[in-house]
Amino acid sequence: MPTTSATDDRLSKFKNKGKEPSKLRERRIAECVELRKAAKNENFLKRRNITTLPEDADQSPELNTDNHEVTAITIEEVVGDVNSDCKERQTRGCQAARKLLSRECNPPLKEIVEAGLLSRFVEFLGRDDDPSLQFEAAWALTNIASGTSWHTQQVVEHGAVPAFISLLASPMLHISEQAVWALGNIAGDGPAYRDTLIECNVIPALLSRITPDTPVGYLRNLTWTLSNLCRNKNPFPPLSAVQQVLPSLIQLLHLSDQDILSDACWAVSYLTDGANDRIDIVVQTGIVPRLVSLMSFEALTVVTPALRSIGNIVSGSDIQTQVAIDAGVLSVLPSLMRHSKPSVQKEATWAVSNIAAGPAQQIQQLLTCGLLPPLIDLLRNGDFKTQREAVWAITNFTSGGTVEQVIQLVQSGGLEAILNLLTVKDSKTILVILDAINNLFMAAEKMGETDKLCLLVEELGGLDKIEMLQNHENDTVYRTAQALIEKFFTDEEPEGLQTDATEATDTTFAFKTQDVQKTFRF
Amino acid sequence: MGTMELNDGNLQTLTEFMRKTLDPDPSVRRPAEKFLESVEGNQNYPILLLTLLEKSQDNVIRVCAAVTFKNYIKRNWRIIEDEPNKISDPDRTTIKANIVNLMLSSPEQIQKQLSDAISIIGREDFPLKWPDLLTEMVTRFQSGDFHIINGVLRTAHSLFKRYRHEFKSNELWLEIKLVLDTFANPLTELFKATIELCQTHATDINALKILFSSLTLISKLFYSLNFQDLPEFFEDNMETWMSNFHNLLTLDNKLLQTDDEEEAGLLELLKSQICDNAALYAQKYDEEFQPYLPRFVTAIWNLLVSTGQEVKYDLLVSNAIQFLASVCERPHYKHLFEDQNTLTSICEKVIVPNMEFRSADEEAFEDNSEEYIRRDLEGSDIDTRRRAACDLVRGLCKFFEGPVTAIFSGYVNSMLGEYAKNPGVNWKHKDAAIYLVTSLASKAQTAKHGITQANELVNLTEFFVNHILTDLKSQNVNEFPVLKADAIKYVMIFRSQLPKEQLLQAVPLLVAHLQAESTVEHTYAAHALERLFTMRGPNNSTLITPAEMAPFTEQLLNNLFKALALPGSSENEYIMKAIMRSFSLLQEAIVSYIPTLIGQLTHKLLLVSKNPSKPHFNHYLFESLCLSIRITCKANTTTVGSFEEALFPVFTEILQNDVQEFVPYVFQVMSLLLEIHTSSIPNSYMALFPHLLQPVLWERTGNIPPLVRLLQAYLEKGGATIASSAADKIPGLLGVFQKLIASKANDHQGFYLMNSIIEHMPTESIVQYRKQIFILLFQRLQSSKTTKFIKSFMVFINLYGVKYGAIALQEIFDSIQPKMFGMVLEKIVIPEVQKVSGPVEKKICAVGITKILTECPAMIDTEYTKLWTPLLQALIGLFELPEDDSIPDDEHFIDIEDTPGYQTAFSQLAFAGKNEHDPIREVTSNPKILLAQSLHKLSTACPGRVPSMLSTSLNAEALQYLQGYLQAASVQLV
Repeated sequence: MPTTSATDDRLSKFKNKGKEPSKLRERRIAECVELRKAAKNENFLKRRNITTLPEDADQSPELNTDNHEVTAITIEEVVGDVNSDCKERQTRGCQAARKLLSRECNPPLKEIVEAGLLSRFVEFLGRDDDPSLQFEAAWALTNIASGTSWHTQQVVEHGAVPAFISLLASPMLHISEQAVWALGNIAGDGPAYRDTLIECNVIPALLSRITPDTPVGYLRNLTWTLSNLCRNKNPFPPLSAVQQVLPSLIQLLHLSDQDILSDACWAVSYLTDGANDRIDIVVQTGIVPRLVSLMSFEALTVVTPALRSIGNIVSGSDIQTQVAIDAGVLSVLPSLMRHSKPSVQKEATWAVSNIAAGPAQQIQQLLTCGLLPPLIDLLRNGDFKTQREAVWAITNFTSGGTVEQVIQLVQSGGLEAILNLLTVKDSKTILVILDAINNLFMAAEKMGETDKLCLLVEELGGLDKIEMLQNHENDTVYRTAQALIEKFFTDEEPEGLQTDATEATDTTFAFKTQDVQKTFRF
Repeated sequence: MGTMELNDGNLQTLTEFMRKTLDPDPSVRRPAEKFLESVEGNQNYPILLLTLLEKSQDNVIRVCAAVTFKNYIKRNWRIIEDEPNKISDPDRTTIKANIVNLMLSSPEQIQKQLSDAISIIGREDFPLKWPDLLTEMVTRFQSGDFHIINGVLRTAHSLFKRYRHEFKSNELWLEIKLVLDTFANPLTELFKATIELCQTHATDINALKILFSSLTLISKLFYSLNFQDLPEFFEDNMETWMSNFHNLLTLDNKLLQTDDEEEAGLLELLKSQICDNAALYAQKYDEEFQPYLPRFVTAIWNLLVSTGQEVKYDLLVSNAIQFLASVCERPHYKHLFEDQNTLTSICEKVIVPNMEFRSADEEAFEDNSEEYIRRDLEGSDIDTRRRAACDLVRGLCKFFEGPVTAIFSGYVNSMLGEYAKNPGVNWKHKDAAIYLVTSLASKAQTAKHGITQANELVNLTEFFVNHILTDLKSQNVNEFPVLKADAIKYVMIFRSQLPKEQLLQAVPLLVAHLQAESTVEHTYAAHALERLFTMRGPNNSTLITPAEMAPFTEQLLNNLFKALALPGSSENEYIMKAIMRSFSLLQEAIVSYIPTLIGQLTHKLLLVSKNPSKPHFNHYLFESLCLSIRITCKANTTTVGSFEEALFPVFTEILQNDVQEFVPYVFQVMSLLLEIHTSSIPNSYMALFPHLLQPVLWERTGNIPPLVRLLQAYLEKGGATIASSAADKIPGLLGVFQKLIASKANDHQGFYLMNSIIEHMPTESIVQYRKQIFILLFQRLQSSKTTKFIKSFMVFINLYGVKYGAIALQEIFDSIQPKMFGMVLEKIVIPEVQKVSGPVEKKICAVGITKILTECPAMIDTEYTKLWTPLLQALIGLFELPEDDSIPDDEHFIDIEDTPGYQTAFSQLAFAGKNEHDPIREVTSNPKILLAQSLHKLSTACPGRVPSMLSTSLNAEALQYLQGYLQAASVQLV
């Protein structure tokens, strides 16, 4: 269980002083379980094509855009048309099916699948002689693949993958684009189908479509599909695939279209959401400065994934973090920490917490670039999720910072701010704060100013709160609070006499040595 | 595993034994309990219990079976790795299949036991091994029977409440997700249905009672399920929940009001939980909760305005106020409070009424002074209304300090006006006024200094002169004791803010109040004096000087000791602490009173030693004794005898009766007395010596530090006497050493003892034991080498080298095992000496190493030569580099508390403390110079060798330092 071991790590760290710097970094843990609504600003895994074509109105007067009439067509009629040998009926049936599937509400995905139409649709994909049939079939399949995993599975199992990949090469741009879209939905289903596509060489086929003349709309779809090919962990996409995609991704990141940038950034954020070697592949491309500049982009849809990517990178090694610092991330973060969206504040603070987990020189750069004031402001007034990240930042800061840096933190109000958060309703956050307090005391010990810090903690109302935590329901929290009180706020007697082999009579202990060992080795 | 048949015979047997377990006679009860324990390993045993609790004709047996069953589950259900499964799998299955039904159909007494059993099983098996538990429970919501529904809700609460405090983990969240999927929707439906039923049964008190307990349980479940994160379901259904919560907050029903003044009623419990729920959302899900928040602020505020003063409302009121306090300091909710009328009415209707002195407070003041003091003085008032009101004042002051101060100033004046009109009737108004001023003015506070930061808008001195001093000056100390206590407390907590003249004016008045009959009042007076005496003025001297105290000294001492005779205060720790502090402040001014006072203190000691019950009182009593001794003997050493005369009889009694709490204190006082002696050790001490070596004394952890200290005093004053007249006790003394160094926790104490032996015992008296001593140390080094041990070990061997010479050290090592000396230098001293801490300890090591380098021929002539430069390098490192305070990872969990110093680190009695002792003060005061001089001497004895050894491998930086030492000593190497 990754989170449990992460907790243990933190605990072992809490009690230990000479710890490895790499352990300090708080890595984003693979969150398999979420209780919340899916975040509103993440990008889509799958998308249904619900565009209404202008020609629908002109060309098919009998199937007008009037929904009433569309629904009037029964599945049976569609089945009859699609299964007939007549080209016109096939096209008409396909189009009718596509329109049903493009309906805003309750498209009959399941019904179409159960009507056994998929093998026909897949067959139609190969009909190079009839582009409009190809197009309608591709569209219908795209929308079915946009459903649940079960729906996508039906599409794949009917052999759509190789057919769509071939279709990418279609000279008709709108048909090729529909194939891109369908493949995006299949890739978005999860790591298994993503890798199926990669094994079928989808990547070179997709990348060959990127040319200086490719229209923006097409590129948007393509970028989104590429992002889905980079997406998902357990397992990650194969390294060879990542290497293949990256150069084009970098190219796309230098365009100016907001949607393309957004999806390209999401792709990078997926690629960097892993171990340091994964991060390294991205950092090596030299894209970090561009990502940093995109963090200041006007559209939130670009800022969010760019920030996420940089956040991932600074959770990597000290060297990787330094690349981001050198690219100027520290001058962008303060404004993001003051962003009007709490979710942006939170992500920015998360990045800060990881930079604060670095060596003292990097902590110094945080100070020099003025990140302490916004950080402390967020501790005081941020929303809870941001406060939690800010607390981590403080704890990491206190554990890796020099005594001088820690003093500056306290003087800037960092201590007061974390002490106020000791009443927060989250056991883990409380524990992390206690860890920070312990670190501060260790710094104070080095300067011989423990008493002064004790008074300060008491003055700021912290002692009361720590004492109250001795009644906390969470074992670890109350023990930690107790240990802190015993260690710094009372003069306790030493305890625990070990039993040993000294022989004793009623009146004295015997002084004698057992058989001398042959040799001593120390 | 054996099996018990499910038959009437076995049921009968169990019934009989169970009845016997209720027998008051232990000779009947115990064997029956033993029997039940002996058969509980059998298959079917729990099933028999369930059968009994369901079907027995005797109600007593049913309940007894239920309790036995619950305890059985508690002991046996958990499967521990590598241990046998204590309940058979078929039994487990049967239990899980039936228990919910059984619980729900049982009467309340049994239901509670079974509900507990379900949560114990659930903790282990839910959800994976008990997948249908929740569905089974949820279907009961449909039953419409609220006896059953409440049973389900109660069980669910005990299953889910751990979500409120456990750390987030995937495992936990998977469980919560599963619970939400099955439980959230039915719970919401039940919530809505229950509220409707409350309306249809609005006039039926019995129905309402049950329905309101359901609502309270549902609200608790809401809290647990929403604690870790905001679940999607509850976000989608926020409107339903929050608007209903809001309605319930504003609801009142005459039928549900209770007459009981103390116990909270159903309505209060429900509203209190709803306040908690709103506070949870406001704190954690602010973004989503924002649209609802203003409504809750209004509702909670109205609730506060309309809730009475009775104790039963306390939890509700303090929860509600805490909610407002947490909201009002958030910048984006500032606007909800900033209107002048809003602020005024919060102050007037919420804060002021909850600061009033209530009859419950009055009762505590008179009859339960200890509890009153703990709440009022020591801050254990977390859940009280006053504390909550105080927090709200502070919260409001974050943005509205000016207006709030202005509003309250008006109230304070009017309350004081009311008081002035008729003090006898309206004294409580003044109490509230003082409390209000205090909470308004204090921004930061510590026990050591009182209020350290005050609201600048409050004129504390003016208030002191006009309203506090007047009360303190009143002739009758027993009139309006609450107000007197308030006034004394005001002086005490604002001591750092008031000018010195005012404090000096207060001192004699406080002294007079030591005689007040009210326990709270004279306790506060003692406490206030004690705090004033600890205050520091310029130059770090005490703020109030002994000279300034001179006019009141006699009165002070008299009144303090008289206060100990007042009813209820015979072991009053505040008074005893004030005595200690007065002694410490007044110093030689108390000498003339000591002959009388020592008698009173000794008498007190004799009394409390019969039954020590107040640890703080006793501690300060011993501290006061130490101070009496120190101060008096400082003026005249010969008076030590009179103290011994006065104290030894009591001490003897304490030691003979083995009063465990006091023995460590006695040893410390004795150490202090013995150390004062200038000539040889008195016989009275020598007679006690053998007893100090008794193993039983050393078994108690608390005795070890003071006993070691006492033995050190014996060795210092009587090393020679022990050698001449108690030589047969030396093995026993060394036995203590052996015992101590075997323990990781106490090994440093063993070294303190050994260092004293080396320093003070005549050489010939211990020569025969030396080799054994080293073997013991090597054995410990071999078996468990901790950083603390190594540090002490290095200090010891270097002290040994300084005392007996480097050659003696090398020879004894090598006599135990060839090349041992080199191994210790190479593996221990050179790599670890940087870790030695403490100036005296470092000096001992420096001098010892210097001797090894310069006075030990084996270091020059033998294969040890290769260690010479590394050792010198390590020594220079010890001089110049920062101390290495790293500790290997595997050692972090031992002895964190023990930081070994050369001196006994144990100083429980501050005033029995020992001075820093340097056993080699005569050798040198500057070890760097000593090193330079010794190297010079060595180089002249064998010219050329030293410079060549230096040039081969000493690093450049070290060499530079060394040249500095040589220059400072004005010597040159040849």
